[in-house]
Amino acid sequence: MNVEQIYYAQWLLSLYELSNKAIRIIQEKVPDPNELFRLPKEQLEMFLPPQYAQVLWKKCQEGLRSHGSGQEHVKCLFEALERRGMHFVAMGQPEYPARLTKIPDPPLGLYYSGKLPSDKSLSVAIIGSRECSEYGRHVAETLGRFLGERGAPVISGMARGVDGISQQAALLAGGESYGVLGCGVDVCYPKSNQKLYQTLTQHGGILSEYPPGTPPLAANFPVRNRIVSGLANAVVVVEAALKSGTSITVSLALDQGRDVYVVPGRVTDRLSDGCNQLIKQGAAVYTDPESFLEEIQQTFFLQSMGPKASVRPISGTAPALSSHSKDSDEGALGPTHDAKDDAKPSEPYGLPERLKIIWRVLDHTPKSVEEIQKDLSETISVQECTIRLMELVLTGKAKQVTTGQFVRQ
Amino acid sequence: MYSTVLSGALLGVQAAMVLVEVDATNGLPSINMVGSLSGEVRESKERVLAALKNAGIDIPPKHVTINLSPADLRKEGTAYDLPIAVGMLQALGFFQKANAEEILFLGELGLNGEIRTVRGVLPIVREAVARGVKECIVPLENAREGAMIPGIKVRGAKELEQVMCFLLAEGKEREKILPVVTVSASELLQEKDPFTGNDFAEVRGQEVAKRAAKIAAAGFHNLLMIGPPGAGKSMIAKRIPGIMPPLSLEESLEVTTIYSVAGLLGNRALITDRPFQSPHHTISLPALTGGGTIPRPGIISLSHRGVLFLDELPEFQRNSLDGMRQPLEDKKIQITRVGGNLTYPADFMLVCAMNPCPCGYFPNRNKCRCTEPQIKHYAGRVSGPILDRIDLCVELHAVEVTNLHGGYLGETSTQIQKQVEQVRQIQAERFAGTNYRFNGDVQAADMERFCPLGEAEKNCMERLYEEMGLSARSYHRICKVARTIADLAGEERIRTEHLLEAAMFRPAQEIWKM
Repeated sequence: MNVEQIYYAQWLLSLYELSNKAIRIIQEKVPDPNELFRLPKEQLEMFLPPQYAQVLWKKCQEGLRSHGSGQEHVKCLFEALERRGMHFVAMGQPEYPARLTKIPDPPLGLYYSGKLPSDKSLSVAIIGSRECSEYGRHVAETLGRFLGERGAPVISGMARGVDGISQQAALLAGGESYGVLGCGVDVCYPKSNQKLYQTLTQHGGILSEYPPGTPPLAANFPVRNRIVSGLANAVVVVEAALKSGTSITVSLALDQGRDVYVVPGRVTDRLSDGCNQLIKQGAAVYTDPESFLEEIQQTFFLQSMGPKASVRPISGTAPALSSHSKDSDEGALGPTHDAKDDAKPSEPYGLPERLKIIWRVLDHTPKSVEEIQKDLSETISVQECTIRLMELVLTGKAKQVTTGQFVRQ
Repeated sequence: MYSTVLSGALLGVQAAMVLVEVDATNGLPSINMVGSLSGEVRESKERVLAALKNAGIDIPPKHVTINLSPADLRKEGTAYDLPIAVGMLQALGFFQKANAEEILFLGELGLNGEIRTVRGVLPIVREAVARGVKECIVPLENAREGAMIPGIKVRGAKELEQVMCFLLAEGKEREKILPVVTVSASELLQEKDPFTGNDFAEVRGQEVAKRAAKIAAAGFHNLLMIGPPGAGKSMIAKRIPGIMPPLSLEESLEVTTIYSVAGLLGNRALITDRPFQSPHHTISLPALTGGGTIPRPGIISLSHRGVLFLDELPEFQRNSLDGMRQPLEDKKIQITRVGGNLTYPADFMLVCAMNPCPCGYFPNRNKCRCTEPQIKHYAGRVSGPILDRIDLCVELHAVEVTNLHGGYLGETSTQIQKQVEQVRQIQAERFAGTNYRFNGDVQAADMERFCPLGEAEKNCMERLYEEMGLSARSYHRICKVARTIADLAGEERIRTEHLLEAAMFRPAQEIWKM
């Protein structure tokens, strides 16, 4: 694919009104922009629906007026894009993510700022509810951080809730993350993720198939989800209600042949209904980041290196968490406890017993002080309980999620 | 003939003496009233004439001029009926001038000659005593209220005829007609019914919220309760006045004065319970802060020395709430109108309640489907400067059914009140000779002096500061609340555990940062 063609593709893609199918037809019928710009409207209508022809013809006329020739026009527009720090990659270019070429209806080109995800590394899409619970937040954070530490890029939609949390965690752990937007790459949506947006352009990338300046239209979001799953080797669903955008992504991911892992939830939690439903239908269950990574690594290496390649863990898979042998003084973790269970939080080391008893009743679902006090084996006053809880917060072993509710950290 | 009679005018919670002058001469029969009078004072002429006639007194046709002096002070209210009637009787020669001298008169007249209650007897009588007046005649219903002030003979009259007889009589006979009313304020305070109303022991569960209420009452901290519908927010708020220390005589007189001015005293002599005001959220700014051409006390003044409870805080109009900013700082409100510039006391404890989100159930995600921006928007409706003056926040959760059935009963209001009373003693000693009364009042500049922290405590605060991302203001608020917690524990020094507990009840400014 030569430069001229890339310019041309970019220009066609920037015409938001045209469908992907129409663009493909145009590229096929009129490969040269100069020729296209000179075509009369009637001729365009011969291979395009009238409303598309109208739009295209108008744009061509505008282009001719400003730059004289089609070739010049598309080149100028492309350069303007680059000057604003945004890039464009067309399908067919070697940089274009290879994974996307294999999905149904791949984007004809991608706008991006920052980098494009590499095909060589194993990447994971983490998706879930915008209104996530404290449990969802915890799982998204843990997985994001873990993948960040292991250098596996996290792909997501930069939305509120699970998306943003997992990406933020990956970046904080020093990893890479890519956000696929349903608006132009120069538009930060939602506004509350401004910081994440900035970091993503430096340690990863912001991707979109929509031209810069496209507003966050509701219709764009389900469509971009195919890119989220398309760029990843596996998709993890953290929390999803029964009817949600997440279920769209899951069905797209299955169409693309991606492995879908689901975080199970309690049957009483409405926010986990979607996840539990998926498990019922046979989705893989996510339990802890380590075993998850191990499983997808095997598939990844089998796929990428062919059947002959040996299966080996990528560096750093050895348990990084400190072993529990020293501090599991009471053997409270039971006989089933083996090396694999390291992902389960072991008792924090060096915590005095008076704080440990509180820590043990804490959970990843928020509990009120009264609930915590009731669950304690010994009777201590509410007042004493709050003091110890706040001590745990200060030592980073607990988190005050709202004024009166705490979770294990 | 010319005559003068003493009366009084209200200026907010203060009063001024008014001299009612009546001049009756021969000439075309008419009655003219002058002296910057409002509508109801001008109408007084008709009431007085009818009342005099129905009391069996014939008014001869004379040219009568009535002046209320000082003539530039705006006169309002119906309390001038009685002094005008007395002045006319004197000017028309019904009794000797000496008989009504040095007596202050207040009262509204009915057309049948009945004397009806008026507003503001207490502050006017107080002013009269300060001016050396020795005797006053007020409506019978207001007599006990006036008798709160020592150093003056207060007589209560029911009929204009009685007053007439009194003025005609001499010496001991007078005592029989209108006996002096005596009430002892301190006795009233002690005789006050033992606390029978709402008791804290009735609140099941919600131990954390009860603890917060106790701390708030002890240090006079403003409190915000957040919780789903039915968790018991209003229930707790209603019980807060009952755990605050009983009103002292001085405080009680302050409160009574305000209620007297507002005309809400009824026939009570003294208000002995701490006020509790719970206005509906549609309340307007003037109703909240006080208003009118001649401003009357608003809800915040009626809550003076008591509790102002704002339920459904985000539903209140923003400008109404913003009107409380200055009073919350200054403990009084200055209202300026065409009719004058008045200051009403407004030293109240602010207790607010709100739902955590529009539906009320956040963070219970099984019930709450509010989106994060919706929740933020809801919280954002509360005026920031008001939140900034709230020291403690507490979250309430739906009560579990096991808590509702019998079982453990918490502390009673009387028990809590005892502890709160002790803390108040400690604070009285601590703040002796300063403008402060409670830990909640301490300004940032005096933190070092009244809430000193040791090394370990400073260290703890630094960690809290970082962990919670506090603002400097919130830092001080936590220290103040910790001071009260330490006082409750009977400790001289603020310790780490006090700071930690205070930090859990974050200042309201901090809660939506989480």
